[in-house]
Parts: sequence; structure tokens; C-alpha cells
Amino acid sequence: MPMGYVGKRIARVDSPDKVTGKSIFPADLYFDGMLHAKVLWSEYPHARILGIDASAARAYPGVVAVLTAEDVPVNEYGINIMDQRVLAQDKVRSVGDPVALVIAESERTAGAARRLIVVEYQELPGVFDPREAMAPGAPLVHEEKGTNVLKHFFVRKGDVAAGFAQADVIVEGYYHTPHQEHAYLQPEAGVGLIDEQGRVTVYVAAQWPHDDVHQIAHALNLPETQVRECVTAIGGAFGGREDISLQILVALGAYKTRRPVKLVYTREESIRGHGKRHPFFMRHRTGATRDGLLVAAEIELISDAGAYASTSIPVLANATSFAAGPYQIPNVSIDTYTVYTNNLVTMAMRGFGSTQPPIGYESQMDKLAERLGLDPVEFRARNVLVNGSIAPTGCVMEHGVGMKEALERAAQAAGWQRKSSTWTRPQIAQPKEPNKRLGLGVACSWKNVGYSFGFDDKAGARVELYLGRGGAIERAVVKIGASDVGQGVETALAQIAAETLQVPIDRIEMMLSDTAVVPNAGSSSASRHVFMSGSAVQRACQEALGRLGGQEAGAGQSVVAEYIFRGREAHPTTNFDPVTGLCDPHISYGYVADVALVQVDTETGQAELVKMWAAQDVGRAINPTMIEGQVDGGVLMGQGYALLEEWIQERGYIKTRNFTEYLIPTVLDVPKEIVPIIVEVPDHGGPFGAKGVGEMTTIGVAPAILNAIHDATGVWIEELPASAERIHQALKKKAGK
Amino acid sequence: MQPLVMKLNGQDVTLQIDPSTMLVDVLRDELHLTGTKVGCNEGECGACTVLVDGLAVDSCLFPALKADHREVTTIEGLAFDDELHPLQQAFIEVGAVQCGFCTPGMIMAAKALLDENPSPDEDEIKLAISGTLCRCTGYTKIVAAVRAAALKGGK
Ligand code: FES
Ligand code: FES
Repeated sequence: MPMGYVGKRIARVDSPDKVTGKSIFPADLYFDGMLHAKVLWSEYPHARILGIDASAARAYPGVVAVLTAEDVPVNEYGINIMDQRVLAQDKVRSVGDPVALVIAESERTAGAARRLIVVEYQELPGVFDPREAMAPGAPLVHEEKGTNVLKHFFVRKGDVAAGFAQADVIVEGYYHTPHQEHAYLQPEAGVGLIDEQGRVTVYVAAQWPHDDVHQIAHALNLPETQVRECVTAIGGAFGGREDISLQILVALGAYKTRRPVKLVYTREESIRGHGKRHPFFMRHRTGATRDGLLVAAEIELISDAGAYASTSIPVLANATSFAAGPYQIPNVSIDTYTVYTNNLVTMAMRGFGSTQPPIGYESQMDKLAERLGLDPVEFRARNVLVNGSIAPTGCVMEHGVGMKEALERAAQAAGWQRKSSTWTRPQIAQPKEPNKRLGLGVACSWKNVGYSFGFDDKAGARVELYLGRGGAIERAVVKIGASDVGQGVETALAQIAAETLQVPIDRIEMMLSDTAVVPNAGSSSASRHVFMSGSAVQRACQEALGRLGGQEAGAGQSVVAEYIFRGREAHPTTNFDPVTGLCDPHISYGYVADVALVQVDTETGQAELVKMWAAQDVGRAINPTMIEGQVDGGVLMGQGYALLEEWIQERGYIKTRNFTEYLIPTVLDVPKEIVPIIVEVPDHGGPFGAKGVGEMTTIGVAPAILNAIHDATGVWIEELPASAERIHQALKKKAGK
Repeated sequence: MQPLVMKLNGQDVTLQIDPSTMLVDVLRDELHLTGTKVGCNEGECGACTVLVDGLAVDSCLFPALKADHREVTTIEGLAFDDELHPLQQAFIEVGAVQCGFCTPGMIMAAKALLDENPSPDEDEIKLAISGTLCRCTGYTKIVAAVRAAALKGGK
């Protein structure tokens, strides 16, 4: 009899510890003899280091060590390209570069001694706009590379000139999205120590512990077997903990002092010490025929990589593949660039290159629909990808394409009707106040699941079954290095294990931590854990069950199985073709349709999200409550991106340094209603048909809000955030004032 | 160093502290009651919310000596013998917990509200937790959990 754990609203397995304060986050760790560290940060966005005098700091009572570049065995790291320095060497490229690490008996002492370090800088001209950084003669962020352009991708599908010649309507737009700060509530913290076996051990909240170990071992010039990372409870991540932050610093501190070393960032240091969402500049030209069919799209995207590569190349690759939207467009030409600047490094953030593009392509869709006199849902419905369609990168979308279902479900929920086979919008009653206008906006969007472009995505899981009387499973231990950043992967994987093994969920024991014990399951990113790690757990459980069947099983015995699931078992992917750029980029996709109801005050320009219908094609819902939670949080984060959040740097200096200067939504900003709509178009490559959830909930929110603002007021806002001032200016311009 | 005497989670506690210490540092660094979190140390996020004589305060801005001879309640003091407080129960059941970093502060802010006003309406709930940030949940299920706890007569 199936137990039905998949699809059930199971309470999160980690929540009892979280509501009682028992969960241990990295700053909650205290060890005997523990030292405390403080980072000295770069003072300039771009400068040569002529000398560092740490003698006074070293002589300060209570100081144990002051570490600089020469103390780092191999002074380089980076998740994609190792172009970052653990401690700045010769020059600084952003104000986020750590220059020295002070280690002392107390945090206060470390902080006091930090002020005694004298760094002699020679300031260099910097470059702060990626478009300027591309120009010949711009100051070089990494001289040895000879250019600031880190990567250029392109896609040539069909013949865009011929496509535009067929078009009855052509619209253009130039869009800009700003930096966004992750603003997870838990600032970076970690402890490094030498364990009883002599291994360098790091306790930290991290998205990809096994990759951290690789980078720590590299920097310390140790074999990876001599480095361990233990993941504590994680206070939110959203991509911001995918890269190394302080892991190598605390590891180095412990390695040098042989004592536990704790480092806790202040909020200001957290904002300075991790990268941001990439700003994009996006130029679009899109053409459609009178019948409402898309015929051509020409797109240029430029992203600001900041001072280091981080994941800017894979983010750009993703953005390239999503640039034209989830639509059938026969002729496509895309060029994308990511460019070094002396701004803070930019990195993964919820959406990973799928969040910025819909600001462009979905504005284009509404502009076209308006010019064609078509309802925005109807226009999209005629063009969205369906099973068998050819994607903008030239691959066939074989199965599981839930875009149309998501669009129809969201539209229906928001009141659209299908009249004589045409989608027709609902009439909305406008508020009585003459300065208040309501508008409805629609956005479709899409996002990959898993690592893409031919990368060999792997997730390993180990399952141990302990048997009781009659050979029944008394306890099942699932070991998997999958970080629960708050998204609930621990619970989802426990549900998958319980369902596969057909045992009550309270007999499943999850072990996610300690790289010395649990298999590498890849990062908590790319919305991949349910699909990839879920598959690994499912297969490992199946294998264990198979072994169980084949042996004389009795009380006290155990059965063990390990499985490494590879993304290509579900769907092999390919990289950009060197000549055409065409590719089959992703293992799987989530499809999203959002409809926003927005009210704009036409006097002040203030826009307010009133209601959001959010349809997510998740393939198969493992836990509807957790999906709703992702939708609620994703909508609010997208709303912040659309209307409120503005992370500002001026010529490389951070102007929004804390939660007073960088505002994120509070409970008072929550819209009247968020309607999560769970769409289940299965992907047979995923466990029980599941795809992914976490990132998809954010990506369509801002474009839906922008389109609603246009619907309410008639102005197109092409730059985020759509602040009161920006809308007010646009309204004034429209009125000819 | 100065003496600090307080009733902490129902127990008398006496310790010697540096007078410039904030309450959160006494709780965390001296007593290792780490359920109270630090998200900003500047009164901006509410993660450090505890109750002093029943009132919710940001313990990162609350000088520890101001708690002298007063009653302090932290998240660790909420469950009674292993029996969860109705707010804790509701947070679990409704699904109001994601990363959990804001959770202790949220629950303490909500407890101060329910102790004062056992059946708050939605606006009152929102106002009570408006100084506590959450980046994960979008607050919707947190508000729902507080309401569910109130309905169950949670104090
Ligand atoms: S830590 Fe006290 S308000 Fe943020
Ligand atoms: S649950 Fe993560 S901050 Fe609230």
C-alpha cells in the first residue's frame, strides 16, 4: 500500500529545532581556546598596494597573528576561474577585497588592532560601467588579460534580416536592471579549526561544501582529504553563499595558529563581502506579423561582472539562452557580454541569469501586443513554446513544456476568459480616487533546472537501511551533501526517500553535513536539488531495496547503497556551437506565468502590488506547503526588485551599506493576496516527474509588475526599480510637462 | 565589571559584565543562549528580539545592565518541559519556517503581542512584527501562524 509521502504537506523536518532556537548557525559555535578574526578591507575600488605595515597591530596585546598575502600558500580562488585573491596581493580591484586578517584573543581586540594596520596605496583610475569598460583604452581591471571583456556569447538562428522583413510590427527597447543584494538575514560567519585527525575543518553556512573544500585545499596547498567542511544551519542564501566568502580566511587562520578561529561579519561587512545580482543593459528589437506571430528578435545583453569572474560566465550563458523568452521565434540573433569593472563582484542570485532577461523580453511582448491590438495573454498564447517547439537556441523542446498550461491557469485565475477562442481580459473597476489607477500585467518566464551547457551535473547519495524484526526497515539513513539553505531540501529528500522505501518518514534520518562523510551532491543552486539529488536519493533507495530483496535479511543487519545521478541520464545538454551558437542548453526547465494587479498613484508615482497570481510549473509538487512558501518569498523578493530595492555604488564605493540604506520588503509591503498556482506538467527525467521551484518563483514578478504599471498608466518603465520618482518622471514626460 | 542579576527564562542568573555590553552579547557570548540571533547589531532587523518584562526589545541595542533585576525571556524559555508554545507549534504546522534565522525574533515579537492582545486582527499582527525582517517566507505564512496560534488561545 503506497504511503503517499510525495505530494503531502509534511511539516519541515528541521522546523522543531528552528522554532526552539536549537538550530546551530555558524555564529552560534563556541570552542575552547577559540580566537577571533577581523578582516581589513580594501579602501579603494582600484589601487596598487605599495606596502603593508602591520607591526603595530602585531604588537598589540592579545593579537596572535596578522595575515597578509604572503601568508597564503596559494593565493588564489574562484568558483569558475581562480582570479580572486584570498588576501589582496599587489593591487585591489574593488572595495570588497580583503587585504589582511587580524586574529586575536577577542573580537574587540581584533577590531582595535585592525585600525593599526597601515596600507600604502597608489590609487588607479577605475572603470565602473561595463559599457565603458568594453571601450578601447579603458583602464584594465586585470591587466594580464588585455581586455575587460570576460566573455562574449552569441546565437544565430535563422535569418533575422529576413525575419524583420516579414514583420508587420517591430518594437524596440533598452532596459536596465540594477544590482540586487541577497540580504539573507544571517550575516556570513564561520569557524576554522584543526580536528582530532589533523584536518583543517571549516564550519560555515554554504551552498556547495564540496566545492569549498576544493578551493580551500587549493589555497592552503593541502590534499583535499586534509580539508573538511561542516555545514551548519544556513540563514538564507539565494545564491549569495555559492561562492567562497570567509571559508578560506578561517581555514587559513586555523592552519596558521593551530587554534579555532571564528570570524563573523557585521551586516555592513556581509554587504561588502559577497557579490550581488548582475546589473544588465539589454537592447531588444522584436518583430511580429499582423497575425500575432513572432518572426524575429535581435538582442544585445551586457552584464557587469564586477572585479572578478565568479559565476559571471555561466550566468551570462544562461541569460543568453533565456534572452528571447519562452517563445517560438524562427529568426534570432543574440549577442551577450560580461565585462570586468571595479564594482563589487557580481554572482549567483535567485534566477542565475534568468531574472534580468524577462524585464526585456516581457516588456517587448506587451509592446508588440499593444501595437497589434491583441490581448497580452492571447498574444503570448500564440507564441509560447509547447512540446515539440524549437527554442530560441535551436533545440527541440521534447517534452514537459508547461508554459502554456501555466499561462492559461494564471490568466484564468486572474479573470481572463476565452471568448470565441480568443483570450479576453477581465474588466477591473477603477478606484474612485481620480489619482489612483489599477492595472493588470502578465509575464511568462522560464528557468533551467540543473547545470547546463554540457556540464556533467552529478549528485551522489548514500542510503543505509538498518533492519529490525522480520527484516523490516527500522531506520534509514540518507547521506547527501545537499545544503538546506531554507528552501526545504532536507524535507523534500526525506519525503522522496520515505515514498521510495515505503517507510514512515520518521524512520528516515537525514545527514546533510560533513564533506568527510556525505557524498558530493553539487550546489544548492540552479533549482536542482529536487531534480538531481532527489533522483540520486530515489535511485539509491531503489538499489538498497533491490539488495534487500536479494539477501537473507534479518534483525540487526544493514544494507547500503550509493548512487551518483548524472543529469545526462535525464537529458544530455550541449554547449554553444562555435559557429552558430546553437545549443541544447538545459537538462530541464521550470515555466512560470505571473499576473500582477498593481495600483499606481498618478500624483506621486507610487506603485503598489495589490495582488499576484503566480503559476509555477513544478513538474510534480513534492510538498505543496513548501512550494507555496517559495512562491510567497519569491514574489516578495521580486516585488522588492521591481519597486523598492536599489543597491547603490558610486564609482565603486558602496552607498547602501545596511538595512537602513538598503531597504527590503517588510511585512507591511506584502500584497493583499498572493495566489500560488501549482501546475504539474511532469518531466520524466525528474523524481516522480518533479522539476524545480526555488528560483522560478521570483523571475516573472518584476516584469509582470512593470506591465501592470503600463496597463494602469500608459508609461513604460524600462529601468528598475520602478520607484515613485521614476514613475512620476515618466508620467510627467508622457503628459508633455 | 559590574554585577547583573536577572530572571532569565524563569531562573535567577547573576553574572559580572562589562557595563558597555549589550544584552544580546550576554545571552550569546556569556550564557551561550544562541537562539537569539544577530542579523545587523543596529536595531534594523529584529532577529535579536527578546522580552524584557514582557515587552519585545531589540537585544542588540539594549544595554545588558538595563535588564538588571528584570525578567528576560528568550526563545529558549518558551517551550515548557518539551511542550512547545502554541506559537512554536503553529509556526511548524503552518510552514512559517524556512531558513529559520528570523524565526526566534518573529516568535518573540508575536508572543509580546499575544500576551498583550490575545486576539489580534491581521493589521495588529503585521504591526507587531513589522520591525522583524524575513527574506525567505514573504511573511504570509508567518502572519497566518500567529493568527492560528491566537485562535488556539496561545499566549
Ligand atoms: S540584530 Fe538586533 S535588530 Fe538586528
Ligand atoms: S525564514 Fe529565513 S529569514 Fe525568515
